[in-house]
Amino acid sequence: MRSTLRILVPVLALAVAVAMPFWSGAYPLAVARSVLTYLALAVSWDMLLRSGQISFGIAGFFGLGAYASAVGVLRAALSPLVSIFFAGVFAAVVALVLGFVILRLRTVYFSITTLALAEIFRVIAHNGGGWTGGPEGLVMPALVFGGEQRALYWLVLGAVVLAVLASSAFERSRLRLAMTAIRGNEVSAASSGIHIFKYLVIAFVVSSFLQGIVGGIQVQGYGFASPDSAFDANYTLLPLAMALLGGMHSTTGPVIGALLLGIAAEFLKLKIPYGHLMVYGVIILLVILFMPQGLWGLLRGRRRAPGGR
Amino acid sequence: MRLKRSAILWIGLAAAATAAIVAWKPTVLVYGVQRAGLYAAVAIPMALVLGIVHIVNLAHGELMMIAAYVSYFVANRLLHLDPIVAMAPVAVVMAGVGFLVYKLTIRHALKAPELNQLILTFGIAIALSQAVNLAFTSQAWKLSLPYVSASATIGEMSFGVFPFVFVGLAVVLAVGLRLFLTRTRTGKAALAVGQNPRGAAIVGIDVDRTYTVVFSLAVGLVGLVGSLFLTKQAIFPGVGGPYTMKSFCLVAMAGVGNITGILYCSLALGLAEAVINGIRGAGTWSDIVFFAIIIATILVRAWRERKI
Repeated sequence: MRSTLRILVPVLALAVAVAMPFWSGAYPLAVARSVLTYLALAVSWDMLLRSGQISFGIAGFFGLGAYASAVGVLRAALSPLVSIFFAGVFAAVVALVLGFVILRLRTVYFSITTLALAEIFRVIAHNGGGWTGGPEGLVMPALVFGGEQRALYWLVLGAVVLAVLASSAFERSRLRLAMTAIRGNEVSAASSGIHIFKYLVIAFVVSSFLQGIVGGIQVQGYGFASPDSAFDANYTLLPLAMALLGGMHSTTGPVIGALLLGIAAEFLKLKIPYGHLMVYGVIILLVILFMPQGLWGLLRGRRRAPGGR
Repeated sequence: MRLKRSAILWIGLAAAATAAIVAWKPTVLVYGVQRAGLYAAVAIPMALVLGIVHIVNLAHGELMMIAAYVSYFVANRLLHLDPIVAMAPVAVVMAGVGFLVYKLTIRHALKAPELNQLILTFGIAIALSQAVNLAFTSQAWKLSLPYVSASATIGEMSFGVFPFVFVGLAVVLAVGLRLFLTRTRTGKAALAVGQNPRGAAIVGIDVDRTYTVVFSLAVGLVGLVGSLFLTKQAIFPGVGGPYTMKSFCLVAMAGVGNITGILYCSLALGLAEAVINGIRGAGTWSDIVFFAIIIATILVRAWRERKI
């Protein structure tokens, strides 16, 4: 029964999501696109979080992907779709190279370093001169799929499906056990023969790949990349709050959190244009203090399965 | 013996660097030292919290921003107090804010995994800066004060002298804190708690009370700095954020528990930034120098401590 549900619910949800452009208006579709963007980022962030490493650099790899895709189209004449893939690969390669150094850091040292890296990427984009367009950034000659709203929505949905599949693959493989063990107690994980560093690199590279892809889609869908828009701190903040609210260390949690918070935020944005982000800060606070297991954790019952779904 | 040799090496390097800067552009030295004063003054309270409560407070810079807003809107607009005069009352108000933040949030996360604490203070930072954004929008506010433009001339070089108050404040904070921690009963208790909370509890020190005092004190000191910060530049909701990073960088560079070290490290950082700013056309890169220093510092530390 439970296992049928486990397959049935995601399939139904996907069917509804795929069919959405046929019955919804333009405005809900645009909102859905932005919510799905954050959803994909939230899931990708959680994938690394499961090993106990908190990245504050989501915006960094997102922005890196955005710029890689824009530069790919403008300077290397890549087609937009190829450039999105290139954005993912570029972010992944950067993550691989940097990961060899920074994944040796733990706790706050890792977190601050990722935050600093995101800033470094931003400064480079800002000062890149002709290549990155400097402070004004780059403008695309055309949108992918000619800017067709439905197609753009499906493209973002595709990234979400990719992220969710990758995340569930992590959960179903030995990676999950390894990551949970590392998070729980690194020394005992190492002594039971887990190659900690290898798993951290895999998680970091895959999550950065996804963030790069999402960044590439963003640029090809909206047509511009500037240092302030591509490396906007919201791309770190929102996914983080979403994953926390929904429930860390799972795929379902971030998905639930992103849908709830994303839709709620859209209404808040209309009501209070300035400072609606305060809600995110307060949600982070309340969740950490009173409900560290998140909504999905609560739904699953108080019994906390270590690192389960 | 070996220690001595490395000390001599450091002093030699510092002297050489200073001489090079003086020969190149003497004003860079002045600006560097002034910057360093501000950095050190902001970083010292963070070192206190990190060393004793063992919490990395990512809302540190935002608390300074709040202090500057209190100084601007309450002390200056309402009560017509000069930011320098307002330092003491703002510090008292901020100590109260620190007390509330500790009692309402930090206290409940002391036993939680470090991950949760980090995200918690990150959430506090967002809530504070966005609350200010909500109340005062993202507009920048600035006081125009006649005395901040006081300048001095030595030979051919003229420069603003007012920012040296930050250097004074940093030194006062460093010395004052040292005296507090070594000479007073509460300070000694705080040091003991910082070294070993369980041991301190066993010998009868009220750990929770000590944490409350230390956290409130630190935020109060941030209040001092924040009020003075208002004399330096315009304030807006995001003005504090970078100082969280800079402070953390300095604390990590100096080593947790080493307050005097923060003075030297901020001197190095301030001078490095001033040098980059002094090179024509390179000013926009000065941020990257700073972030590169953060990362390098963290890596070197991790290497030394054999965390790697």
